[in-house]
Amino acid sequence: MIAPGSATGGVVDLRRYACPLTYVKTRIALERLAEGERLEVWLSAGEAVESVPRSAAEEGHRVLGVEALASEGGGYRILIEKGPAVGGELP
Amino acid sequence: MSVNPSALDDARLARFSRQLLVPGFGEAAQQRLAAARVRAVGADGVAAPALLYLVQAGVGRLWVDDPEAVSPQDVGSWLHPPSAVGTPRSTAAAEALSRLSGFVAVEPYPTGGVPTATLVAAPSAAQALHAAEAARRAGVPHVVMEADGDGGAVVSIPPGAPCYSCARSTGTGRPAVPGAAALAALAAEELLLLIAFPGTIAGRRFDLVRGVATARPTARLAGCACAAPAVMGP
Repeated sequence: MIAPGSATGGVVDLRRYACPLTYVKTRIALERLAEGERLEVWLSAGEAVESVPRSAAEEGHRVLGVEALASEGGGYRILIEKGPAVGGELP
Repeated sequence: MSVNPSALDDARLARFSRQLLVPGFGEAAQQRLAAARVRAVGADGVAAPALLYLVQAGVGRLWVDDPEAVSPQDVGSWLHPPSAVGTPRSTAAAEALSRLSGFVAVEPYPTGGVPTATLVAAPSAAQALHAAEAARRAGVPHVVMEADGDGGAVVSIPPGAPCYSCARSTGTGRPAVPGAAALAALAAEELLLLIAFPGTIAGRRFDLVRGVATARPTARLAGCACAAPAVMGP
């Protein structure tokens, strides 16, 4: 269970968005955090609940939890800890 | 604590989502593209694909600088329709490109306009040298493309790097193959990188031969005036 206060980097409610915007916004929010900070992402049920954690893990972040939102209108909450910067190929 | 996930609006995030997800790219890079004013010197059939790339990548403003008329050969490119033959390339390109994106202002180059970056795809070596030197003196990053058959060369010149005169080809090259777009795509990509990641790219030259690009750093020729600082910044 994701403990209250775990999201040291804040909470992003993306339940009204669909892919790819869900991960685009998650990625941008993670860009602003320092390594080790944790972001809680709220998503509506569907593809994004699988694709966002998978994409975050592929980019070197740690997915600490995925669980249903008991209140607040439903959906899922994903807790992600920012990993070390993954080197890109640009420029 | 609820956070605002982006400074870019949803329409821009959706439009540019593919490049925003490219490793190494990101929101700040996209914002720098959106803030750019790019002068494109040349809008013929060889340059046309580069203009398309710049618009689709989301530069904020594109000034097209080519007073010549659209020729029948230009129609073989990706931009100019047959109905544009005879109209100034600047106007024709601006009209065609404006239809592709609501996030980019495309217009003929205004007299006295001050760009923050320049793409030089001029049809003659003399024009290319003149435009590149103007960009160097203004202290703005610029990229020069030299067509040669289905390939050619692309020279990237960030502020302070060896100038185009130091790195240009000495021959004239063959006429560009109609419809060949790889060189223009490479030139556009280089300019986008110079804009999005200022200060991270040194001067370099790509030679594109049979679809294969090889890169090398550019070097300043002894005694070249580009060793002196630029006269003014952007």
